[in-house]
Amino acid sequence: MIFEKRTERLFLAIFFIIALCIPLFLEANSFFVGKITTILILSVFVMSLDFLVGRVGLVTLGHALFYGLGGYLFVILTPEYEAVNFWIYALYVMGLSALVALIVGVVVLRTSGIYFIMITLAISQMAYYFFFDSLEFGGGDGLFIFMKPDTSIFGLSFLNLDNPTHFYYLSLLAVLITLVAIKIILRSRFGRIVEASRLNPERTEALGYNIFAFRLISYIIGSTLAAYAGLLFALQYGYVNPQFMTWEMSGTALVMSILGGMGTIYGAILGTITYEALLYLFEHMSEDWMLFMGGAIILMVLLLRKGLAGYLEKLLEK
Amino acid sequence: MANEIILETESLSKHWGGIKALNDISLQFQDKQLHGVVGPNGAGKSTLLNMLCGTLKPTSGCIFHKGDQIEGMKPWKFVRRGIGRSFQKTNIYAEVTCLENCAVAAQRRFTGSFNLFASRHANTLVREAAEKALHQVGLADRINTMAAEISYGEQRQLELAMVLATDPCILLLDEPMAGMGHEESQRIIELLNQLKQTYSIVLVEHDMDAIFELSDQLTVLDNGTHLITGTVDEVRNDLRVKEAYLGKEDEEEAA
Repeated sequence: MIFEKRTERLFLAIFFIIALCIPLFLEANSFFVGKITTILILSVFVMSLDFLVGRVGLVTLGHALFYGLGGYLFVILTPEYEAVNFWIYALYVMGLSALVALIVGVVVLRTSGIYFIMITLAISQMAYYFFFDSLEFGGGDGLFIFMKPDTSIFGLSFLNLDNPTHFYYLSLLAVLITLVAIKIILRSRFGRIVEASRLNPERTEALGYNIFAFRLISYIIGSTLAAYAGLLFALQYGYVNPQFMTWEMSGTALVMSILGGMGTIYGAILGTITYEALLYLFEHMSEDWMLFMGGAIILMVLLLRKGLAGYLEKLLEK
Repeated sequence: MANEIILETESLSKHWGGIKALNDISLQFQDKQLHGVVGPNGAGKSTLLNMLCGTLKPTSGCIFHKGDQIEGMKPWKFVRRGIGRSFQKTNIYAEVTCLENCAVAAQRRFTGSFNLFASRHANTLVREAAEKALHQVGLADRINTMAAEISYGEQRQLELAMVLATDPCILLLDEPMAGMGHEESQRIIELLNQLKQTYSIVLVEHDMDAIFELSDQLTVLDNGTHLITGTVDEVRNDLRVKEAYLGKEDEEEAA
């Protein structure tokens, strides 16, 4: 069983049952289906960050670089007026993102601690300004996707991405795949050494492991998942722009992951939902919603030292 | 000496700016022998050990392992050559079980650690090796206990078990008995006596009785320089050693 904790199994069971049923009730209200789809996509992004920050021990403030890259690469790779195959192009996008993550990773992983935070931030800001100032890539307006890709596999087509409900299920599938993939990796032999390197890097090296290699591979995995999330987000709204890559994007995802319970992975889903729900609530309540939002986050971080998942585990375990 | 020389240093030096932590040390470590290293605080014992296991790079000089020059290699490559080390300050994974601590150490020997899919618990060889290491040091009843929850002495034993689980041929032990009670120390001494039948051991230790009892060869360092290497009796009767180290201690004890 890759889901070891009872709380985790319980939460995921409830989450997936509700998530599977939501479109049945909201079919008529495509705004909400779209809103929840966005939350699912963000969950994928936050899970990939939670994996890096909470489990590998790489506190990155430049994760949004890959979120944006996923969107940009898709638009750049596809011909403008032709519906390409979604799965094939998703593979292209993830492959290229992995390559970028390899190059960036080799540079940034030479540092650690506060320097790692600074250099990941710097590199993602560089990418932001590169796309912001580039004429070929649309500058601040970004690029648009005119044709939604086709999702057929071997000629069989189940999902029509122009249909919000279908897109919703594609995003839910992404959540499931990301979650299971990360959990399998964490339980694996590779995961054992990754865990060891986070708990005690000095010792792990003294036991004969090249921790740089383990961190690099983890960084590539996390970044590639983030790129997939970015690709989905770009497809949902039909555009990609430099805002995808801002440090606020990385920072917000970090807050969501901390709120949910860092390193728990399923907590990332919980954190994303909670953050977005609070945001929606406060935005409709008051013009000073930022004040409330900030207050709520400070309160939750102070009261729930191990995040929402940690709180639930305290209630439900044993 | 009949035993083969397995590890050798040649004019090994480490300078921190103008301070010579270790100066021109040439030593030979023989297979299946326990080589003690003693000296007053600041003599350079830990510095020597850190260079022998690759974590510190020497300012000058060479290290040879089975004839290959290795001082420039990465620390993890030292382990792959069979040079395992323990730490002076307990250095374990406190948040996981004792078994998992040793499993991390053992895993590299049996299976690829870059396997992203196979469960970490799937390989029985890893588990057996980890259990065997825990048995060796006398922690068999602590297999499923969190490393943070065992006593300090037991953590020192775990520290040793982790090194053994890497299946080394050379053990570099940095004060394995530091902070241990008499009984626990006795157990470690017994264990080291067994281990030196199969491993070559470099032991840095403050416990003089232990080191006199265990050492086949004894090296005395003082202030970064090499005073003498010889059998325990040779060292005991050496005048320079008495002056630099043991003599002072005698005076202190007398006073």
